[in-house]
Amino acid sequence: MRLGRHELILEPRPALPAVYAVLGAVAAILLALVLASVLFLSADAPIFAAYRTVFSYAFFNPHGILATAHRSIYLLLCTYAFLVPLRAGLWNIGLPGQVYAGALAAFAVPFALRATGSAPALPAGVLVALMVAAAAAAGAAVGGFAGALRARLQVNEILVTMMLNSILVWLVAYMIKEGGPFMGATAEGESFTLPQPLYAPLLRGVPFTALLALGAAVFLDVLFAKTALGYRIRALGENPAAARYGGIIPVALSLFVFLLGGAFAGLAGYHYFAAVPGVYKIPGNYGYYGDLGFYGIISALIARGSSLAAVPIAVLFAGLSLGARFAQGALRLPFGVDYALLGLLMMTFIASHVLYQFRLTWRRVAAEAPAVQAEISRE
Amino acid sequence: MTGPTDRAGTEPILAARGVSKRFPGVVALDRVDFDVQAGEVHAVLGQNGAGKTTLMNILFGLVQPDAGALYLRGVRVHFRSPHDAIARGIGMVHQTRRLVPAHTVLENIVLGHPRIRGVLNLRAARAEVEALCRRYGFAVDLGARVWQLSEGERQWVEILKALYGGARILILDEPTSVLTPPEVKTLLAGLQELVRDQGVTVLLVTHKLPIVMAASHRVTVFRSGKVVARLQTEEATEEALVQHMIGRDVAFRTVERSAGTGHPLLHVEHLSAFNDRGLLALRGVSFALRAGEVLGVAGVSGNGQEELAQVLAGLRPASAGRVHLDGRDVTHLSPLERWRMGVGYIPAERTEVASIAAFSLVENTALTYHFDPVYTPRGLLDDVRLSRLTQHILATYNVVAPHHYVRARHLSGGNLQKLILGRVLSRRPRFLIAHLPTQGLDVEATAFVRAKLLEARAEGAAVLLISEDLDEILSLSDRVAPIYEGRFVAVLPREQADAETVGSMMAGSRPQETRLR
Repeated sequence: MRLGRHELILEPRPALPAVYAVLGAVAAILLALVLASVLFLSADAPIFAAYRTVFSYAFFNPHGILATAHRSIYLLLCTYAFLVPLRAGLWNIGLPGQVYAGALAAFAVPFALRATGSAPALPAGVLVALMVAAAAAAGAAVGGFAGALRARLQVNEILVTMMLNSILVWLVAYMIKEGGPFMGATAEGESFTLPQPLYAPLLRGVPFTALLALGAAVFLDVLFAKTALGYRIRALGENPAAARYGGIIPVALSLFVFLLGGAFAGLAGYHYFAAVPGVYKIPGNYGYYGDLGFYGIISALIARGSSLAAVPIAVLFAGLSLGARFAQGALRLPFGVDYALLGLLMMTFIASHVLYQFRLTWRRVAAEAPAVQAEISRE
Repeated sequence: MTGPTDRAGTEPILAARGVSKRFPGVVALDRVDFDVQAGEVHAVLGQNGAGKTTLMNILFGLVQPDAGALYLRGVRVHFRSPHDAIARGIGMVHQTRRLVPAHTVLENIVLGHPRIRGVLNLRAARAEVEALCRRYGFAVDLGARVWQLSEGERQWVEILKALYGGARILILDEPTSVLTPPEVKTLLAGLQELVRDQGVTVLLVTHKLPIVMAASHRVTVFRSGKVVARLQTEEATEEALVQHMIGRDVAFRTVERSAGTGHPLLHVEHLSAFNDRGLLALRGVSFALRAGEVLGVAGVSGNGQEELAQVLAGLRPASAGRVHLDGRDVTHLSPLERWRMGVGYIPAERTEVASIAAFSLVENTALTYHFDPVYTPRGLLDDVRLSRLTQHILATYNVVAPHHYVRARHLSGGNLQKLILGRVLSRRPRFLIAHLPTQGLDVEATAFVRAKLLEARAEGAAVLLISEDLDEILSLSDRVAPIYEGRFVAVLPREQADAETVGSMMAGSRPQETRLR
């Protein structure tokens, strides 16, 4: 941008210590909250009361804290689904599709084994394990489809995963609608409800999938930092030509990261529809949860590919979206405050990233070239 | 070729005075004076890294010089961006196409034009472009989609786009590198017409001698960031131009010969390969290489050297021919299998291919060790061993780095190259491919890299040295193979390879023949 004899330039910054990245993230959260005040003010809501409502519901209310935990697990699993292919330089935009595939496969297990009634044919533990495995496998299959096309035929993975989202959303619709195979007893466009023995085991009210999500946070960071396989994936993501030079075979790795990423998304589908207390079915508004999966993309990007760093980010996103939704009802705030808050957070996080890597500098423009009119500099 | 000679001596239309440009670790241009006369085709000749493209980018405002000044028709100018250069009538056609494939020719031509801001009046624009086509004698279907055009036609679209933008000085960067021979002919003829009939001035950046001879009025030769010759093309010969390009600065240092002592290790028969554009770039190369021997492949870049190195490293499929290493057919082996068999490859592109900028030096070392069970037991990276190996390489190869966990992007070109060399040589390769191993390095680093290559030879490695620097070839090689248009012109024992013979073969002359074309 040019003003008079000076211009404003965005130039790369020399590397800063990582602590600045954390400080930047904190500043981004505070800035997003300040900006969100405008929303509350416009609704004539008392700002501090509004924020107190958001935070106290999300992180201190016994109901809210459980809801935050359930949603955090879901977001984290979706984050990994995006993060693993991202480390190989590939973009998995197919989170909703892989989530639905996981959900369908999980419900297919009791359906196929005629265990939808109250007296299952197999021990409940075995059935739950089968449901988890089926969900992961189905997510992996849908992800792997895009990965295989990418690896073998160089088909753009972004397009394929997005199109798969559409296919899967309609497949779910077919399965759970009236007359569909998974139709529920009430015929309200929902799937059947899991029988109680198949409810996922709870630990202090939180499904065991929490252990999967937290375990994966450690596992993935170790995978990428300490193993030869993780090293190869990162090398492929940073510089495919150098990876090939070093004997790394892109085909197998492209497929692998999509299989693994898809498996995580499948688990996310299992978690939300088959493990969260009070749900235990694929509800009619399942699309809402699919769209929520896209926040996995944002938290993976903000965490810069680190699964452990993604944990607090996913918890924050989960808590704020739930707290804002609660405050919306409690304080009669305008509709969509929760999404607006997440959107603001996204923008301030990304801005803090840019400012971490670049800095703004004023520079005096040389006095020559009088014939050149003022214009926006391209550099 | 006649043309602007009658105008010679008049003020240059475009001039650079004392222009210098330094990139990290490399002096790209060192106090260069350069001038172009109006209405001439001016060839800018030089090897890769000689500085010619940097100067053109400065003339087009893409790069800012560290020192020096530009003059347009005698007036000092300062280009902050290509916008400024375009506004002053300078156009540039880059080596890679910058068109939107799905758009029509017309849409591409008007795209980015200063007058096309808000509303796009395609009908008016079409009339203008059609008038332009008539004036310059182009027959282009303005409604065709760019993806449907041949590479030669796309280049004309870019030229037309530059002219529509008001260019009177046209910079063409390596315009023939992606064209087939008939397309080259059409291009050169068209440029002649532009210059003769329309008074356009053309700057032709190239390293291809026949193009210079066929199409230019004057030629400026660059080497290592300096202008080494300014010639009228009619007074130049291809041999003389090659001599200028490759230089004769350093006294030849002869090394002890060992040819014929080692056992034959590598057999290459009729090896051919396509380049990225699908043109046959390597055309039936055959040679044998013994352990403890250096075969120097001498040539001007773009004659198939890149493809030869990549095919031998397993990074590019051979379209015909065979490669045997130690009696085993390795023609179709993957790069990984070749690393394991003791092939070592030092690519020319040290930042694009041989290293990963965002990785630490330890991680960069792992690039050729991640498959080695000693360094990755049970699939886990052995950080201790890898760090120790990296520190050993840093010490042995004089790599200047603050510590071994610094990212590779913070190393200068010379230090990065020494790290890459050390990483490859630490595997003790039996067959080493070294492509432009000293390009862009300072004198000290160059001497160091050459000494290490000779050390590897002394330890019994068979070395294929591909270089554009004739001094390097002659001072390191036991045998010399000049390469031209994808073929070895000859494979000469070092005794018969004097600079004149090799230089003229690099320019396409065959033995017992005075001129090929």
